[in-house]
Amino acid sequence: MSLSDIQKDALQELGNIGAAHAATTLSQMLNSPVEMSVPKVIAVDIAKLSEYIGEDPSAMVAFELQGEIPHGGYVIWYLSRDSAIRITNTMLGMTDTDRPFNEMDESALREVGNIMVSAYLDGTAELLGFVMLPSPPSLVIDMAHAAMQSLIAQMAEEINEVFLFRTDLTCLEHKIDSDIILMPENSSLHKMLNLLEEMMKPPV
Amino acid sequence: MIVTTMTDPFVQTDPTAMIGIGEYRVGSFRMASIGLGSCIGLTLFSPEQKVGAMVHIMLPESSGRTDRPGKYADTAIPLLLNELSTLGVRKGSIICKIAGGATMFEAFSASMNIGQRNIEKVKKILAEQNLRLVSEDVGGKMGRSVYFTPQENGKVLVRLANGSSREI
Repeated sequence: MSLSDIQKDALQELGNIGAAHAATTLSQMLNSPVEMSVPKVIAVDIAKLSEYIGEDPSAMVAFELQGEIPHGGYVIWYLSRDSAIRITNTMLGMTDTDRPFNEMDESALREVGNIMVSAYLDGTAELLGFVMLPSPPSLVIDMAHAAMQSLIAQMAEEINEVFLFRTDLTCLEHKIDSDIILMPENSSLHKMLNLLEEMMKPPV
Repeated sequence: MIVTTMTDPFVQTDPTAMIGIGEYRVGSFRMASIGLGSCIGLTLFSPEQKVGAMVHIMLPESSGRTDRPGKYADTAIPLLLNELSTLGVRKGSIICKIAGGATMFEAFSASMNIGQRNIEKVKKILAEQNLRLVSEDVGGKMGRSVYFTPQENGKVLVRLANGSSREI
């Protein structure tokens, strides 16, 4: 499937609204400014996934999209391992970064991810009037590519290409660098495109 | 002064072929697949000819799809055998190793369990083809990167996210 420039712009705007909501909640939780990159919507051939998502140790909090479309795809909050430790340290009032993850860290990451992703999907639902609900969070601390690959393998539709809505959220004060990635199934992507097209029609 | 454009033999420019999801390569050069989760890295190696093949399998069954044969266990294995036989490799000499098939998201994949299904399908087809599976590092919850060096007697190295690695 290929997207026109207008479709790409519209999807990018959708990603922008979602990510802005997520950035606001992250900023509130950290009590510190969070910078947000321009959201990108990219089509990635699965054979080239490693050019976008590497094998570095990372924390990934993943959510399955539910709601009107039962298996709508996934949203993933993706942080380097170091950023993940710094974020939980900031929230739990600790300073040691050279330590293994414990249960408290894991539950804090799930919770922060849950709040951010819920805000992201609230934002997109507000714009589209199309509700995508997040499943309970699932956390993996491992190679990022391995985690993404596992999600792609279990997507409902057979695909050779995935669309990634990706926005970088960074907090300079606490040296936290993270990405929020929406990976819709083709069914949800079509639905989003249809709704966006409706919105862009001039009023009769 | 002689200016030469020849490649410096001491600088290895592209020493490793990266094999992405659904891709495969055949040859005697070094090959690698990074970040295997539920996917399987399968290597076939002929000690007689020091030549091998590697594929990055994502799903057990092709269900009739033919566009990317390396993506599925049932189409990938016959494909590699065919490629190796055109290089004159004797089927009986081939040894196989597999790594991968992890379950990383238990909450999502409980009903599907693709990692486990991949392992079972690959093993089943290897057995049907009378191929020798000599070593494996499969299952569990951890992601793996796999490095295959045909020149070093078909050495297969599996590395985990924590940096530890082992030869299989």
